[in-house]
Amino acid sequence: MRRVLIVDDSVSMRQMVGYTLRQGGYEVIEAEHGGDALDKLTSVTVDLIITDLNMPVMDGITLIRNVRKQPALKSKPILMLTTEGLATKKEEGKAAGATGWLIKPFDPEKLLQTVAKVLP
Amino acid sequence: METGLLELRSAPADVELLNSIFRAAHSIKGGAGSFGMTNLVRFTHSLENLLDRLRSLEMQATDEVIDILLRSVDVLRELLDADADAAMPSEALELHKRIETLMPGEHGPAEGAHIETQQLMEDDRKINLFKVEFRPDRELFTSGTNPIVLLRNLAALGTVSCCHLHTEELPTLGDLDPALCYLSWTVELASVCAEAELREVFEFVEHLAEIRVHCVDAQPLAEMMPGSALVTTASRNLVAEPAPRRAVAAAPKKSVVKKPAAGGDSGSIRVATDKVDRLIDLVGELVIAHVMTAQMVEDFEPSCLPKLREAVAAMERNTRELHERVMGIRMLPVGTLFQRYTRTVYDIAQATGKKIRLEMNGEETEIDKSMLELLADPLTHLVRNAADHGIEPADLREASDKPEEGVINMRAFHRSGRIVIEISDDGAGIDTERVRSKAIERGLIGADSQLSKEQLQMLIFEPGFSTSETVSDLSGRGVGMDVVKRNVEKLNGTVTLASEEGHGSTVSIELPLTLAILEGLLVRVGDRTLVLPLLSVIETVPLSNEQIVRVAEQGEVVLIREESIPLLRLSRFLGLPQETASTEEASKNGANRRLAVIVESGHKKIGLVVDELLGQQQVVVKSLERNLHRVKGLMGATILGDGCVAPIVDVGGIAAMNLFSLQAPLKKAKKQVPATPSDKVA
Repeated sequence: MRRVLIVDDSVSMRQMVGYTLRQGGYEVIEAEHGGDALDKLTSVTVDLIITDLNMPVMDGITLIRNVRKQPALKSKPILMLTTEGLATKKEEGKAAGATGWLIKPFDPEKLLQTVAKVLP
Repeated sequence: METGLLELRSAPADVELLNSIFRAAHSIKGGAGSFGMTNLVRFTHSLENLLDRLRSLEMQATDEVIDILLRSVDVLRELLDADADAAMPSEALELHKRIETLMPGEHGPAEGAHIETQQLMEDDRKINLFKVEFRPDRELFTSGTNPIVLLRNLAALGTVSCCHLHTEELPTLGDLDPALCYLSWTVELASVCAEAELREVFEFVEHLAEIRVHCVDAQPLAEMMPGSALVTTASRNLVAEPAPRRAVAAAPKKSVVKKPAAGGDSGSIRVATDKVDRLIDLVGELVIAHVMTAQMVEDFEPSCLPKLREAVAAMERNTRELHERVMGIRMLPVGTLFQRYTRTVYDIAQATGKKIRLEMNGEETEIDKSMLELLADPLTHLVRNAADHGIEPADLREASDKPEEGVINMRAFHRSGRIVIEISDDGAGIDTERVRSKAIERGLIGADSQLSKEQLQMLIFEPGFSTSETVSDLSGRGVGMDVVKRNVEKLNGTVTLASEEGHGSTVSIELPLTLAILEGLLVRVGDRTLVLPLLSVIETVPLSNEQIVRVAEQGEVVLIREESIPLLRLSRFLGLPQETASTEEASKNGANRRLAVIVESGHKKIGLVVDELLGQQQVVVKSLERNLHRVKGLMGATILGDGCVAPIVDVGGIAAMNLFSLQAPLKKAKKQVPATPSDKVA
């Protein structure tokens, strides 16, 4: 089963995304922020990272940059969760090495479609 | 979010704060979106735009803006409860418009996009032949993109007739950098999709690849593929694979259950794991203690007695700690309750044009959850009263040399085993003369009755009492204060009021830590055992006849250290078998064997006459009311170790009664003077 890491400081968001992905047949692990995600990535292999951008401790952009720096994770697909109002953030994320993005709010179907867009 | 907004008032340019508010709004929108609550999404969307401008400092968080935001929170709550498909309530629409007008040039992009895609769907229903060129940059892999996934997704949109892989740029093995992408593709497919939909497959790589989509009419395939040779079998196979994910994706939508209308009012508590762990430990120890005791009882011989005592003592320690911990589970910090009054005060300040600051102390003080819930209403009344009546308008305040901004202080702390919650304001205080005239007008007191300042002030807790000249929608209807008192008394608590004209008022609510168990003093009255709540007991004194003074044929007081304290003979009060004249005589002779337990409630002291002290014990309070009527002077009953039922004396209730009228049931009915001062008799 393919495994997805969700990084978001909002519990409800993690629950929602997690629920949808599990329904869609993915295994899901969660992290509260970028630092937490990096910790988890040292011990677990995932097929996809979905990250929020606005987070305490370590934001999504920094997480993406850090992931891309690591040889083992260099080509890991990363989806960022962004907002319409934040075109600059999206550009920043793209430059940092995000594979794709998902514009909030999204419905479960859109989430699964987007995941399928980047996951082998 | 609400708390954040209120803080924003004092720091309108705090970006960190704005960010956290933005995040909150954002999570709401995200959550709403996933549950298909379109109204909520649309509303939060505009709210979010507004917040975004605020945090990028394009706009100032003026009072008007904050007001709109606060109102939005209310609307959000409403929308959350409303049917997902229902029309937007008028208030929401109005507010929506206000937000839009605040931000010129902002249109609902979500709606626009929606219409656009719908049009596209309708336009292109015929089969088109596409030629898609996909030339990724060398750096494609740095974004974690897998081109095979993109090709597969493209293939899922139609029928691929040909997929050409261009390998021209592939270097020799020695020069090849595996981290770079040297390949490109040309795909031909027949599809009912529009060009935009095909492009959407490459949405994430538009900045990392050159993508060309040509729509070609049915032309000979051979012409379109110069030198076509390498058709990857992999991509051909992919064509046959229809996307099954739609079916899966639909599942979560169906299972969306509507949220129950009543917000967080569920009967559950969140408990820290370590608290539960400790409980399990304790239960374990209790089981061990029990086994040990059982063993000892089994092979009992007199020499074991000290050991047995020890074991029972250990069990008692465990039980006691278990009790405390279990109670601890129900305890919640009072701050969660205080928090909500920030908004109440803000609203009132807005409505009345006053400047009011709410201060809080001791928010971490823990209080029983059920009590917390029952306190919500009384505290609302008190805070409203303080803000609406207590704090004066700014001009009046200035005239009396007070700072323009009024302060309401909410404080919670422990005092001798009870919890005290104080609400004080630095406002006008209570005009006792007005209270008096109002009370006379309402017939609560006689025109000539003499009442102390404290007693006059306590009159505002009488039903139907309000001195407010105008009835605003905030307060002044005369319901409220009596409700406060009733509710607090229901919790076995007391309300006291201290007010100084011109300097403000303080209302103190005193509550027991918990409702279920209390530390009791067991006393014997006649042949009955009664329980007095130990917390209200101050001292126990032997009674001698010299100390007892009869007052005006109405009752007795006892003089203790120059203080006269009204006496209540519990046996008579509770209607226990009346002492005959002879026993009364006898008891008078042997009066030094009699005891007076001095109890206090509020600021009132009473001496309860009992025959004997039996001991101290924790008792479980059981309500009488399910089986009997409410009995005056009793708050419940408990079951003692020997299985007997012992009534628990309601000290607060007795203190609130008029002792002298109670004590003279056999005397001829006297003209009652209402609210006779009963605590001090000179």
